[in-house]
Amino acid sequence: MQAGSLPAGIPRRLARRPHLAVALLRWRNAYRLNRPRLLGGAALVLALALAVLAAPPAAAVLHWLARHPVVTLAIVACLFGLSVMRRQERIQSEAATSWLAALPVPRSSIARLVLGTVARLLAAIVFLGLARAVGRLAATEAWRLFCMVAAGALAGTLAGALTGLPLRAGAAGSPGWHYASVRRARSRWATAPALTPLSYWPVAQGRIFSRPKTSRVVLFALLAIPAGRRDPGEVALAVAAGCLTAFTLVSLSTAAVRTAGDAARWLAPTTLRLRTFIAAFIWAGAVKQAAVLAVVIFLACAVDYAAALRDGAALAAAYVALSCAAAAAACARASRRVGLGAARRGP
Amino acid sequence: MTSSAQVGEGGAPALQVRSLHAGYDKLVVLSGVDLEISRGEWLALLGPNASGKTTLLHCIAGMLVPSAGGIAICGCPLRQDAMGAKRQLGFGCAPEALPGLLTGRQCLEVYAAAKGLAAIDADVLELAGQFAFTDMLDRFVGSYSLGTRQKLAVLLALLGEPALVVLDEAFNGLDPASALVLKRHLRSRVSAGRCAVLLATHALDVVERYSDRAVLLLGGRIARQWSGQELAALRAMPGEGLEAALAAACVGTT
Repeated sequence: MQAGSLPAGIPRRLARRPHLAVALLRWRNAYRLNRPRLLGGAALVLALALAVLAAPPAAAVLHWLARHPVVTLAIVACLFGLSVMRRQERIQSEAATSWLAALPVPRSSIARLVLGTVARLLAAIVFLGLARAVGRLAATEAWRLFCMVAAGALAGTLAGALTGLPLRAGAAGSPGWHYASVRRARSRWATAPALTPLSYWPVAQGRIFSRPKTSRVVLFALLAIPAGRRDPGEVALAVAAGCLTAFTLVSLSTAAVRTAGDAARWLAPTTLRLRTFIAAFIWAGAVKQAAVLAVVIFLACAVDYAAALRDGAALAAAYVALSCAAAAAACARASRRVGLGAARRGP
Repeated sequence: MTSSAQVGEGGAPALQVRSLHAGYDKLVVLSGVDLEISRGEWLALLGPNASGKTTLLHCIAGMLVPSAGGIAICGCPLRQDAMGAKRQLGFGCAPEALPGLLTGRQCLEVYAAAKGLAAIDADVLELAGQFAFTDMLDRFVGSYSLGTRQKLAVLLALLGEPALVVLDEAFNGLDPASALVLKRHLRSRVSAGRCAVLLATHALDVVERYSDRAVLLLGGRIARQWSGQELAALRAMPGEGLEAALAAACVGTT
């Protein structure tokens, strides 16, 4: 790319870095085309952050995290590590499919990884600043949390970069479906077709989002927790298990919401009705989430039987219900947009 | 090839499009399209890129709401009786719109169930065999090539004996042998009066040899039509035939 041919407003130093130039252009175009929506979204996120901080447990959780810096460090390192690994895999898979793949220019992989980490770190710092501004954190606690978040981000980024895919020039990552497994076909698939396999789609997508490889970074963070505390092993295991469980649950929820639009568009020309579509689309994901939470509750019973059953079951039911509601809302919205069944409003 | 178009069951044509206007936000794509296809007729929809062919097909499939005008499939108005209209429709989706994380077999099963079929048609399974698609049935669609995805999209469109088959560039990416199988299969369905075919295409050999009629969509309107006799005459002409006629029609209209 020649510097003179760059669109106005794009720095000339990005002339040999088309991946970064394109990312910048994408953001700029999105802002110009959807300025009210983007600003509204930012305001909504800010309002949500304030609402979370206003909730009574928020202060208790923040105080607890400030008092347990090792656990905080481990959690932040896990989150940043997983995020870096996912971006690494995306960059690698784009190496084969991107429209810029054939250009004889660097992929700017490290710059893209670092920029992503910096953006997430800034978001965390803004959240801590808000917590301090609304009086949920004392100055010393805010400073301690800031140090833990910064250190955790650095450790997680390094761990993720070291344990993830190598960013070799010319190397291409595996396509997404490589991480999903083919389920055996029903014997009566041709003589009595059913909608059952439809819900395998979001489950497979969820598996791709929480690729098993990413557990390595959790193990790395687990080993990084220093010995010498009273029960470092238990804390480390709890942190690792918590992260993996949360990641699995969130991956399944996100996958259902993200794939709902594609599924509705694919099935729009059929006579499928909205309620049937929603039920067929979300059941397997909901069952899998319920199974994961049941295992967690079973394990937690070993620590506190009554509390695990009372609070754990209520929280698990609430999470699965919320996840199903989000997926159903995404299905309904997508169906209205593409006219699945008769779920279409007139012009 | 049948030149006499049969009227659909109950006297209604397979597809009736009246004064159709459609677009995306402020962009007007279709402005007053009128079209009618009878059962037992193969209509080719021609037009340069961005002339509105896919938009028209999406309106017919109920995926895009027109701003004005009406569409009826076998007499069922799409707006008032969407389910009745879709029951008669077989729509070949874009290959990239197929679910990459389902296998071909799962796609066929889910699509058949979504159409409310009691079983998958034997001739669709036979066509899958002729396409040499059977070995691909238990692989993820995400691993398919463009041509293999195209085969699956066509098989899905033909499920349930639809009275109107709507295909968008269905021969893109198909190997010559599979393309010939598909042309013959569609022709036999049309000739037997089992369905009408609306095919948006740039493949002029298909139009010349297999279509009963062709229309040119230009600037959101039907700019020119070729009857079966005119297509036969163009086929018999030495040289460029329909290609030259199409280019002349495009230049003449613009």
